[in-house]
Amino acid sequence: MMRFAPRSSGPGKGSRDDSGPALEIAGLSVAYDAVPAVWNASFDVAPGTLMAIVGPNGAGKSTLLKGLLGMLPRLAGRVRVFGRDPAHDRGEIAYVPQRSSVDWDFPATVLDVVLMGTYGRLGWFRRPGKKERAAALEALQMVEMDEFKKRQIAELSGGQQQRVFLARALVQDASLYLMDEPFAGVDAVTERAIVMLLKRLRDEGRTIVVVHHDLSTVPDYFDSVTLLDRRVIASGPVSEVFTRARVEETYGGRVRTALPGEAVASVTDQDAPADEPR
Amino acid sequence: MSPVEPILALGQLFELDSTLITVAVGAALIGAVSGGLGSFAYLRRQGLVGDIVSHSSLLGIVAAFVVSWMVTGAGSKSLVVLVPGAIIAGVGALLLSREIQARTTIKEDTSLGLMLAIFFGSGLFLLRWVQRQSPAIQGHTGLEDYIFGMAAAMTRSDLAMIAILGAVSAVVLALFWKEFQLFTFDPGYARSLGLRTTLIDTLMLTLLVLGIVIGIQSVGVVLMISLLVTPASAARQWTKRLGSMVGLSALFGGVSGLLGALISASELRVPTGPVVVLIATAIFLFSILMAPGRGVIARARTRRRAAAALALGPPNTEVR
Repeated sequence: MMRFAPRSSGPGKGSRDDSGPALEIAGLSVAYDAVPAVWNASFDVAPGTLMAIVGPNGAGKSTLLKGLLGMLPRLAGRVRVFGRDPAHDRGEIAYVPQRSSVDWDFPATVLDVVLMGTYGRLGWFRRPGKKERAAALEALQMVEMDEFKKRQIAELSGGQQQRVFLARALVQDASLYLMDEPFAGVDAVTERAIVMLLKRLRDEGRTIVVVHHDLSTVPDYFDSVTLLDRRVIASGPVSEVFTRARVEETYGGRVRTALPGEAVASVTDQDAPADEPR
Repeated sequence: MSPVEPILALGQLFELDSTLITVAVGAALIGAVSGGLGSFAYLRRQGLVGDIVSHSSLLGIVAAFVVSWMVTGAGSKSLVVLVPGAIIAGVGALLLSREIQARTTIKEDTSLGLMLAIFFGSGLFLLRWVQRQSPAIQGHTGLEDYIFGMAAAMTRSDLAMIAILGAVSAVVLALFWKEFQLFTFDPGYARSLGLRTTLIDTLMLTLLVLGIVIGIQSVGVVLMISLLVTPASAARQWTKRLGSMVGLSALFGGVSGLLGALISASELRVPTGPVVVLIATAIFLFSILMAPGRGVIARARTRRRAAAALALGPPNTEVR
């Protein structure tokens, strides 16, 4: 089971701006070269929501995250995080990239990587000190990786790597978490542990948006869902949005997965490998 | 008194002549700087980028020599004159290559290779032309040393220039250490934190170019890439943190440069580049064989032990 260390900032940080959504996306289009990978996407995420972004390969799920983080140029559209332009206010956002996006043979220990989560706050020329190390260790405890703090990252399993990335984001103590496939290539035990952690963060009032692949777990894990196939098919509470008609519209009618409420044995969406062109 | 004086005085105690000491200290400094900076090029897989910068700089070196002849009537081989030319040509080739990648469908390796062909080819052509202008252009003899390196040609003012540029690199590295570390490991995450990644990238590239151009005289444009990447790959075998990797890589590079210059400047009078590179390669081979954990021998031993344990019973499953 996960142990949860008390967060220094206390719960409810994300709910300080109750009047508006935590994340507001209006008419967002993002492209590689000239071909738009995300087209005219608009949806809001309420504070304290755990949301999945679901869609077929090449639907632009990762691209959407990168576009709203400014890692890819936006062709058009507006992004607001707690009512403000994220380009000017990064402190509220913590990003968990795909595990496969980095070379894990980089010479660093687990603690080194988690400390990177403090670099945004530190600013130029300042090195992480005692306070930052304590925060990093606390985050490592939350993902049950504190025993591995001195371990070289090249020696970690896939699930351990994912938890290190999560700890790095936890150190940021952000209000909005954007996670790209946090369950890709992790075992079932780790997946359960990560889900519990995400729910815990949500219960603290934080907002979490997760690029997700497994249709069968959407109702179990998430409060709301955005169905994406380059454009937004639907977005809202799982109970309203996650219907067979809409899922099939998103996946082009080739869904064999049983959806919640259907009297069919649940099958994982085997057709969708974890990789997606970046 | 210049900072070089105490070193010279120390050397004289051991009956070494001051030219040799200048050369040895300079080559060691060059090796240390390239080794340290090369760690980042190695981790970012920018070896090819470094290779294009160093090859292309030949055109800038010869062009700077020609310009100095046209301005002063005598060609200068001082690093103060040649280094700016090398930087302009090296960076120019790199920027042109990036421009090609941005505007066409040509991939990075092809566009870099194209720039190498154009800049290095023109450099060799211009060098040949300069040599044919004798005796009109005085002092061109030795310009061809920049191809394979001749540390023995190093002067005291060259050494001062190397020391200053080396110190500047070390200070920049120390100031921007955590940004360089994060950007090298995970540029996307660095961007998400709001770090100015374009600025960090430019700074790292500038350091790489500086490290290359100060090493060219000693190692030569053809083999400079080896002094960047070989000590770094050797150091990677022994270390598990970036700081120790950069430090050890600088040490390996420094030792290679020092020994290479001494051997090359001795009665053999062979070009320095090949000797330095062979020493660095020897260190690399030793490291990849012997390093604990990552070395070939250690890994074979681990596999043998695992196979033996498997024969005895089920393996211990690691707690995830």
